[in-house]
Amino acid sequence: MADLSKNDEAVAAALDVPVQRGEPILQVRNLQKHFPLTQGILFKKQVGAVKAVDGVSFDLYQGETLGIVGESGCGKSTVAKLLMNLERATAGEVFYKGQDITKLSGRALKAVRRNIQMVFQDPYTSLNPRMTVGDIIGETFDIHPEVAPKGERRRKVQELLDVVGLNPEYINRYPHQFSGGQRQRIGIARGLALNPEIIICDEPVSALDVSVQAQVINLMEKLQDEFNLSYIFIAHDLSIVRHISDRVGVMYLGKLAEIGTDSEIYDHPTHPYTQALLSAVPVPDPQARANRDRIILTGDVPSPANPPSGCRFRTRCWKAQEKCSTEMPVLAIPERFRGQDTLAAHESACHFAEERDVVHAS
Amino acid sequence: MLLEVRDLHVEFHTRDGVAKAVNGVNYSVDSGETLAVLGESGSGKSVTAQAIMGILDMPPGKISGGEILFQGQDLLKLKEEERRKVRGAKMAMIFQDALSSLNPVLSVGEQLGEMFVVHKGMSKKDARAQAVELMDRVRIPAAKERVGQYPHQFSGGMRQRIMIAMALALEPELIIADEPTTALDVTVQAQVMDLLAELQREYNMGLILITHDLGVVADVADNIAVMYAGRIVEKAPVHEIYKAPAHPYTRGLLDSIPRLDQKGQELYAIKGLPPNLLAIPPGCAFNPRCPMAQDVCRTDVPPLYEVTESPAPRSSACHFWKECLHG
Repeated sequence: MADLSKNDEAVAAALDVPVQRGEPILQVRNLQKHFPLTQGILFKKQVGAVKAVDGVSFDLYQGETLGIVGESGCGKSTVAKLLMNLERATAGEVFYKGQDITKLSGRALKAVRRNIQMVFQDPYTSLNPRMTVGDIIGETFDIHPEVAPKGERRRKVQELLDVVGLNPEYINRYPHQFSGGQRQRIGIARGLALNPEIIICDEPVSALDVSVQAQVINLMEKLQDEFNLSYIFIAHDLSIVRHISDRVGVMYLGKLAEIGTDSEIYDHPTHPYTQALLSAVPVPDPQARANRDRIILTGDVPSPANPPSGCRFRTRCWKAQEKCSTEMPVLAIPERFRGQDTLAAHESACHFAEERDVVHAS
Repeated sequence: MLLEVRDLHVEFHTRDGVAKAVNGVNYSVDSGETLAVLGESGSGKSVTAQAIMGILDMPPGKISGGEILFQGQDLLKLKEEERRKVRGAKMAMIFQDALSSLNPVLSVGEQLGEMFVVHKGMSKKDARAQAVELMDRVRIPAAKERVGQYPHQFSGGMRQRIMIAMALALEPELIIADEPTTALDVTVQAQVMDLLAELQREYNMGLILITHDLGVVADVADNIAVMYAGRIVEKAPVHEIYKAPAHPYTRGLLDSIPRLDQKGQELYAIKGLPPNLLAIPPGCAFNPRCPMAQDVCRTDVPPLYEVTESPAPRSSACHFWKECLHG
């Protein structure tokens, strides 16, 4: 046991070393999460599994924002929980500074969590209504006392409130005394409290009104520059994701369908699902509505407990052929674009990847 | 004119005081027209709709003034019994959250059929046949087999189709859709909006679409009414408003949404917070957040000015609409 804790100490120390800009800070490899489906009350036996995340790989670089988009049930929030190790991965690895955090526990895991923080979707349910703002933000220092000594905590919390654009005098107020946008700022202040390197934002603005959304997005961008943060920005709103992200990954039914820079995904999508998703977004421009390239998908997303064989999108895809049901497409640069100097040459998991600009079509 | 709302006032009596949710709203919808009512939470857009439908909770709500003319008849003067004959048969509503609007312990067939039993006195068997036909019409696959299923057995998009079917059952002349696609994923949202627009054309219904999504509005609406703090601040045909807004609030909203087709710079953010309905600022309610506000905005409530430069009828509740239109 003594050996193990010494090992933890060493790991924790290694995690304190900063990563240079432009280097991967997080490497996710073949990450999987299967939730068991059981039958019976006394003698539970597993009859299947919901494959919420089923083989996801990506890198996150220091100082960048990686957007993850997808419809409800595609597994994007489960990915967030796996990265925080709030859920134990069924298989796969998440390397943070060379350490596989899915295998960590104890002090080493605590050290990781100090550097990877989270901002949640709903600012109404993610703040304890019986705690003051000072206690909500200050609680993080109880768990990680090394960040701020006891005497300094109040001042530190006030500093954080100031950083996120709230009046530091509000420190003794309760969450119900704030509006939705202000609450999300409190959530962000809590996420920042431990000077993390990575913040995972799970739908951080979708509960907010349009006029307040822009304020919070601008704040997040400002903080990123100021503190050199890396964001994983999970959302279903494709316009907001484009605005804030350097790179974007599109998820469908537990897998990444396509990943690339914002221009590669939005201006040169090659996966049919990305194209359908983009074409379905209502654009605030009535001039464009008559001659837009709309792809209306039929049907609903299949159940992740029983996903289609081969390509998961084939049941709703207009290009699907025999090959799609037998062979699972891998996420890679499609062969036809390989080595070419085109923005279509990015990773896409489709046998028949083809460029189609659905956003600008007119 | 199919529906005309005139100077409607609604207030809520709460423990902390009187919340003025709707403060003199005027709008109208014709057959075959889609009017989008755009606004943030608390702007009074849903309360106005509830007052039109006659489903406002009273108390605490109270309609303190105005008229709601439906085919020339003031609905507010009708007795509850007469009102009930209008509701469902002449006008129907589609709600945001289909799961909580449907009864979980009745099959969808029973819920759809109920409309025909209650309003048309049909037998249960005939009503069920009608329900199947309705489900077909909103393109629910295998309607015959699924008519006996319960709401939880349907997906979100399918449930919203059932809501649409229920609204259409008695072929009403007006449909009010309150955030009909907000709870749905984008690909499903597109399906449902297309269906709604198609059915509206087919039956030549008036449609009031209540939403906060500027994208959805641009896709389907003919005219827009923008609401803020219980008042209409701008009314215009959809093409005009996106080209050149005549109210600083509309302009702020349009500038604050990121675009799908370009990366863009820092977003414009409307400063401050939506007003507290218990204490709406004097003068123009938007003045504390407005970049163009002058002294007159803090004292005089702007009337709905006619925007004379526009070819189509258009109005703006801003003292400086001219500057805004050209700025």
